[in-house]
Amino acid sequence: MAGVDATVVATPSGTGARRFPWIAFLIFPTVIFLAVFFLIPYANMVYMSFLVKPETGAYIKQFTLGNYARALRDPFYWKVLKDTFWYALLTTGITLVLGYPLAYHIARVPKRWRGWLLVLLISPLLVSIIVRSFGWMILLGKVGIINTLVRRYGGPELHLMYNAVGVVIGLVHVYLPFMALSIAGALQTISPDIERAARSLGASPWHAFWRITWRLSLPGVFAGTLLVFVLAISSYVIPILLGANNVLVMPMVIVQMLLDAFNWPLGSALSMILFGFTVALLWFYVKLMNRALRWSIR
Amino acid sequence: MASITLRDLSKRFDSLIAVNRLSLEIQEGELITLLGPSGCGKTTTLRMIGGFETPNDGEIYFGERPVTWLQPELRNIGIVFQNYALFPHMTVYENIAFGLEMRKEPPAKTRERVSAILHKVQLAGLERRYPHQLSGGQQQRVALARALVVNPAVLLLDEPLANLDAKLREEMRFYIRGLQREFGITTIYVTHDQSEAMVLADRIALMKDGRLQQLGSAEDIYRRPSNAWVAEFIGLSNFIRGTAAGRDGGSLTVRTPAGIFACAGDSPAGDVIICVRPESLHFGGTHANRIPVVVRERVFLGNLLDYQVDGPGGLRLRVQADPSRIFAPGTPVDLSFSPADAWVVRGSDG
Repeated sequence: MAGVDATVVATPSGTGARRFPWIAFLIFPTVIFLAVFFLIPYANMVYMSFLVKPETGAYIKQFTLGNYARALRDPFYWKVLKDTFWYALLTTGITLVLGYPLAYHIARVPKRWRGWLLVLLISPLLVSIIVRSFGWMILLGKVGIINTLVRRYGGPELHLMYNAVGVVIGLVHVYLPFMALSIAGALQTISPDIERAARSLGASPWHAFWRITWRLSLPGVFAGTLLVFVLAISSYVIPILLGANNVLVMPMVIVQMLLDAFNWPLGSALSMILFGFTVALLWFYVKLMNRALRWSIR
Repeated sequence: MASITLRDLSKRFDSLIAVNRLSLEIQEGELITLLGPSGCGKTTTLRMIGGFETPNDGEIYFGERPVTWLQPELRNIGIVFQNYALFPHMTVYENIAFGLEMRKEPPAKTRERVSAILHKVQLAGLERRYPHQLSGGQQQRVALARALVVNPAVLLLDEPLANLDAKLREEMRFYIRGLQREFGITTIYVTHDQSEAMVLADRIALMKDGRLQQLGSAEDIYRRPSNAWVAEFIGLSNFIRGTAAGRDGGSLTVRTPAGIFACAGDSPAGDVIICVRPESLHFGGTHANRIPVVVRERVFLGNLLDYQVDGPGGLRLRVQADPSRIFAPGTPVDLSFSPADAWVVRGSDG
């Protein structure tokens, strides 16, 4: 016992290799929670996606690859999948362009203002997503505020809702705080002296930003884009409310398959396909990210 | 290489006056330290010289060239920050080459100059390391090399040693001093550490509350402080309050509750303070000014003994004496000090 203590004292920063890491048990509640409410249902879905859908009833316990074959042969699902990724990508791009300056401002403003700006930034999240979507309807609709104003000044009628435009506007609005917060977190760790040093060495503000600040904020950019992309891919309420049935995304199709068509095996297979493509895409993205962030790996 | 002139420089932040009508001339090749407690405006001054803050009033010249409104990248400065501000995503080589790249130097020349300066700061062989793979002292030298490689007109150092441990800090003082001499570059060095300022500086500009308190060599400031604050900030000092009672030949007569003393000073009138350094007070001795005191406390400091003594009129003094003669607490003894070591400053702004 004394020997163990001596080891601890001798290496306070702790290689800890010889001690059993009891502290690791602290993650057990989380592990159990995730296992019960995430892993098991997911495993069940994987299982179900390989079952046969009978004429009546949910499924029969008989192995088949038919659900995947059907989904992947049907160009309809490919188009929905492509659209889903496209809207998510567009949302990610726009939130990045809008969120970066916002984040920069939040990170550089004096500390006493920062707290208030953060509260303002996340305040939209305090309103339910449904209420917010209805708010957008009032703004974007045929007789909405924007179109009324445009018409008054002789402009053409703008199709802002019940199409992809409305969906992307809604998605950008919801996910902008996630992007801005991620980037602001990274920017806050960059000392203003680093930019000053670049300027002193002859870099214009643009060069100092592009060669230094932007590169150093990439961890935040990657975190934000990952987060927004994943959230946007799985969004359901906004495409329904602002896209009506003119915009189809995978989550909508999956829900229809599960609830309306009562085809659980095919719905599960579609879920797995969406999941698989998302993971594949993110895998490439993370590879790219690690290459760009090589300098930060200690 | 250029001289630096600050003329009536002022900077306000909301209601706070960070720098208040600061005027300063720094000779070509001179190393000047801006010394003062935190919040005295020294860093703000450095930032204005670097172009990172815009003064509300006043002008800055590098030589004859007015730079007050110039962007930092057009000033041709080298700067080293307390945290070094190395670019963490660039290697040592890329960090140092950055300034040359911005100046669009041809690659061959860049390689040559980077490798020359790396040798000068003894970092050859570490080109491909990232900053986080270096020790504090090595990072410090990379920062210096990065600032110097572009041949800047002036070198600005903002507490560059504050993050190093005590021993390394001591070494780096002499190292920086040597490097600065070798390059002959006009340098402004901001610090709150007085011994650092004294080791490094040709002249020290002592600042408090945005104002210049005194400008002079370390010896000037130590021996002839311009006011009681300066005397207190630099080294240790005893203060004896009194009233100026006229001149007597070369010296100034000051009447105090502890007696009448002959002093030196720029002949202020009225309420004055006599500043006497603890090492200028002698037990016994034959100096003109004498005070009878009683030893109160004694501390052994190795090379000297540190006494607290009580004098007449509630006077408490600190005396540092060599350990050849030891006085026990309670011993009555006469102190003496020379008029040359009794420097008089005005008493009102103490």
